[in-house]
Amino acid sequence: METRKSSEKFVVPIGPQHPALKEPGHFEFTVDGEIVTGASVRLGYVHRGIEKGAEDRTWTQNIYLLERICGICSHVHATAYVLGVEKLAGVSAPPRAQAIRTVTAELERIHSHLLWLGVAAHEGGFDTLFMYSWRDRETVMDLLELISGNRVHYSTNVLGGVKYDLDTEKMDAIRRGLDFLEERTHHYMKVVTTDETFLARTRGVGLMTREQAEALGAVGPTARASSVRRDIRIDAPYAAYPDFPVKLITDDGGDLLARFVVRLKELFESYRVIRAILDQMPEGELTTRVPRRIPAGEVISRVEAPRGELFYYIKSNGGEKPERIKVRTPSLCNWGTVVSVAVGHKLADMPMLLAGIDPCFSCNDRMVRINRGQGAQFWSWENLRQYGIEYYR
Amino acid sequence: MNTTLLSILALLIFPGGLFLLGYGLAYEYVDRKLVARFQNRVGPRWFQPLADVVKLLAKEEIVPHGVQRGLFIFLPVAALAAALTAALYVPMAGQVPSYSFNGDLIVTIYLLSLLTICMGLAGANTIDRFSVVGATRVLTQLFSYEAPFLLALLSPAIMAKSWQISEINIYTHNNLWFVLTQPIGFLVALVGLMGKLELPPFDAPEAETEIVSGALTEYSGRGLALFRLGKDVELVIGLTLVAAFYLGGIANPLEFVLKTLALLVVVAGLQSLFARLRIDQTVGLWWRLGAILGLAQILFVIFWRLVLR
Repeated sequence: METRKSSEKFVVPIGPQHPALKEPGHFEFTVDGEIVTGASVRLGYVHRGIEKGAEDRTWTQNIYLLERICGICSHVHATAYVLGVEKLAGVSAPPRAQAIRTVTAELERIHSHLLWLGVAAHEGGFDTLFMYSWRDRETVMDLLELISGNRVHYSTNVLGGVKYDLDTEKMDAIRRGLDFLEERTHHYMKVVTTDETFLARTRGVGLMTREQAEALGAVGPTARASSVRRDIRIDAPYAAYPDFPVKLITDDGGDLLARFVVRLKELFESYRVIRAILDQMPEGELTTRVPRRIPAGEVISRVEAPRGELFYYIKSNGGEKPERIKVRTPSLCNWGTVVSVAVGHKLADMPMLLAGIDPCFSCNDRMVRINRGQGAQFWSWENLRQYGIEYYR
Repeated sequence: MNTTLLSILALLIFPGGLFLLGYGLAYEYVDRKLVARFQNRVGPRWFQPLADVVKLLAKEEIVPHGVQRGLFIFLPVAALAAALTAALYVPMAGQVPSYSFNGDLIVTIYLLSLLTICMGLAGANTIDRFSVVGATRVLTQLFSYEAPFLLALLSPAIMAKSWQISEINIYTHNNLWFVLTQPIGFLVALVGLMGKLELPPFDAPEAETEIVSGALTEYSGRGLALFRLGKDVELVIGLTLVAAFYLGGIANPLEFVLKTLALLVVVAGLQSLFARLRIDQTVGLWWRLGAILGLAQILFVIFWRLVLR
């Protein structure tokens, strides 16, 4: 590191390794004193080549792979994939399977939002809220473990249905867990909206108008906190959402506080929907038969992940393996809002602003094309392979 | 000869030196454990602070490029030395201070500030960006809490008509506790102490989610251990000062332990109650609220002395 002259810009790097980041990403904030005058983001540190890998696996094997795109919203990735494949195959999972898929998805949303609440509080230096919300999050983790046997990758979905059934005992356990969580969520809502020191860190910070949110293509709770009416569960209902509609939660604040409020209110909505489904759980089979070879064609599958719209494009050539799977995760849509909103804020607000969109790094890592000077360097698969052989020779 | 020996004992064993280091580590443990329990965590084991220090002392100290080497090594030593020296003027463990003269209150407050200044310099000494931002924040915070903290300690001094800590201690011991008669001053002093020690919510200078470890980011090994010891020592001295001034003085070791522990419980509670304040909010809070309250308090005390007595 060389000494910088005072006339040069003072850049504070956050990442790739930084206590505020749980996954690697690189942000450069140009600061003037404490005020941020410029921001840039660079991703791509944990690119795993999953889309390419998916082309080499059968339709069934891909569920396993795609669930591992994200450790927090794993179920919703599998749901988007199986819904798309089922549409291509022209089958539809039985109503009970759809209901169980939705219950798991909403439980996952609860665990994701509680996790986010803790992380965001920690970024703001409110560790007590962090510890308490993560303690309570264990309840929903236990419920997910009860249903599927796994705390993180539930692998509930199979092509044409689900693996696990819900019996009365499990339903009662879920209801009890939800009662406890609902009571706690009321408490967190009170803390977030009344604690003066916390409000000082969230109110009016990261203000994004509705026009900005729409222009930047924000999705999910980030967009809904700027009163953009956008929720796939309502706009294009899938799984059991046509029968058990959710209410759209928006807030016109547009600041960090609004993002807290929207996510907490969505928790209440999730509790309500899960209870409604459990009360009127359809009877019937858990799976239908799906052919090994999926008919040729292409399909778009959209679901609402905890962070916003998750988009899958699936193309089949009629074989046992997909021709192409394209994933666009919600975090990728929301980065633009951070970078454009950051300017003019204090450096101390940056971690909370970053956390405000509930970022997930590894799921949105792309191949990055770096332009150095005039010539762009572009390596194909063959080049990379050759490089690897040369390197280890 | 005998006095020399006593002086050396005072410096190395009690009240400075070993006693204070051990006591500071013990209080760090109590603080960490209490905050952990308030946050529903398990918290560290009793020897964890000592283990941390031993580990840091055993580690290689890396002197990064671009620093003034002598200053880098000297600053932690100076910080710890200043904190230990300050202990000689306060009624540690209820004993009569080892050294005492009229005006030692001011000297003690200066010695306590030296730790903060050393940390600021340590940050500014390196070219690491996190350290530089941290150093700016350390010094900004110093300028914001120092005046109210001083004012809060001055009003008992004015009541006692003395600038000597031992005399103020005796005066407060013989009178109604100042925490009852001057609650505002007590609050400002206690919160000022938290600002001084950079405890949450005043931990903006070392906010890990923003600037990693603030001014001390580049320190590892011995330097970091010394800074941490210095902070522990300062915690004990600060609590002793506040207890002596506002909680009816410290006459014996039992009172010392009970009163400082009670203060520590309050401090730990305050640490876990709030979200971190931004540095501009800290400055605003201290100058808009802390300084004015401290000033009002001291004007009232002067008025009381001049007119009503």
